Amino acid sequence: MTGVQKTKGARIAAARVGIGGPVGSGKTALVERLIPALLGRGIDLAVITNDLVTAEDAERIRRSGLIDPARVSAVEAGACPHTVIREDPTLNIEAADELERRFPGVELILLESGGDNLASTFSRDLTDFWMFVIDVAGGDDIPRKRGPGVIRCDLLVINKTDLAPHVGVDLARMHEQALAVRSNRPVLLTNCRKGEGIDAVVGMIERDVLFRA
Amino acid sequence: MLRLHGIVGHEADAGLHDRLHHVEHHGGIEFLFVPPEEAGRKRFRRATDRGTDCAVSLDRDEDLIDGALLWLEHDRAIIVRFGQQALWRLRPINATAALKLGWHAGNLHWRVRFEGECLVILLDGPPADYRARIAHLLAEGDIVDLADV
Repeated sequence: MTGVQKTKGARIAAARVGIGGPVGSGKTALVERLIPALLGRGIDLAVITNDLVTAEDAERIRRSGLIDPARVSAVEAGACPHTVIREDPTLNIEAADELERRFPGVELILLESGGDNLASTFSRDLTDFWMFVIDVAGGDDIPRKRGPGVIRCDLLVINKTDLAPHVGVDLARMHEQALAVRSNRPVLLTNCRKGEGIDAVVGMIERDVLFRA
Repeated sequence: MLRLHGIVGHEADAGLHDRLHHVEHHGGIEFLFVPPEEAGRKRFRRATDRGTDCAVSLDRDEDLIDGALLWLEHDRAIIVRFGQQALWRLRPINATAALKLGWHAGNLHWRVRFEGECLVILLDGPPADYRARIAHLLAEGDIVDLADV
């Protein structure tokens, strides 16, 4: 190709993928499943976790042995988690910039939000793509409530699918209603405890964010 | 997939006029339509009007604009086209109503612009979803709905 293109010789910034969702929906469990799956596909990775006033999730991931602990940064919101992923995401932007400075080859940074409510969304200034994690035990009416997190995310993940029969949830109907409220934009089902559905999430990140396929 | 990084120019750049004219003459202009609510993205994948699968990324300090040139070679160019941003223009009848409207718009995290006495809402979803949130203000006559949508 002979076209004018900035790509030649340019260092392209790491892609930034947000993971939000209610408390206990399985965001950290999803991160713990994504890390080995992404590393296994040769993706140079780093992680940022957000907590209210601790570094609990970051410490959990650092201790997991899944990733070099130096590649895990913690942001303490000190307030509602959405304030640092939407209204003023500078703490997270700086954390991501700092990871890119320390690890110049990093291709992908996962940013896990603190647990929040259904109105939680990510700023486009912070993330290139974001997913919202809900779980069947939270109730099959969650998609019908049409929270901005459920509606606007690039990918809705319905986690803990294995619990559906135990909490009286018709999983197929919940999936169908989630697709309906999202006008058929992507909805994937996972059981992070057993690693089910993770390949589909990774595949979407590879295709739509990392442009590998 | 055509991998594109960064904005290489603008369709109105005088220095690119002759080259773009040549490409246009050979029918090589492709438009990449981006909805206004998606314009803030720094990385996305979309197809042009001719079906070219484009994987686009921008530097963190770059902003996509209407008319941005993402690719240019001797017989082909890819130019960004924004759809028109849907707006909802509201005029509060007095300062009290303005405070109420501003309070709601802030709490609902709406994207807004200020235009004199009007608050202009930049819609990211169906207008009915927005209208429902302040239905009481509209019903009470506190807000004049100038209904651009």
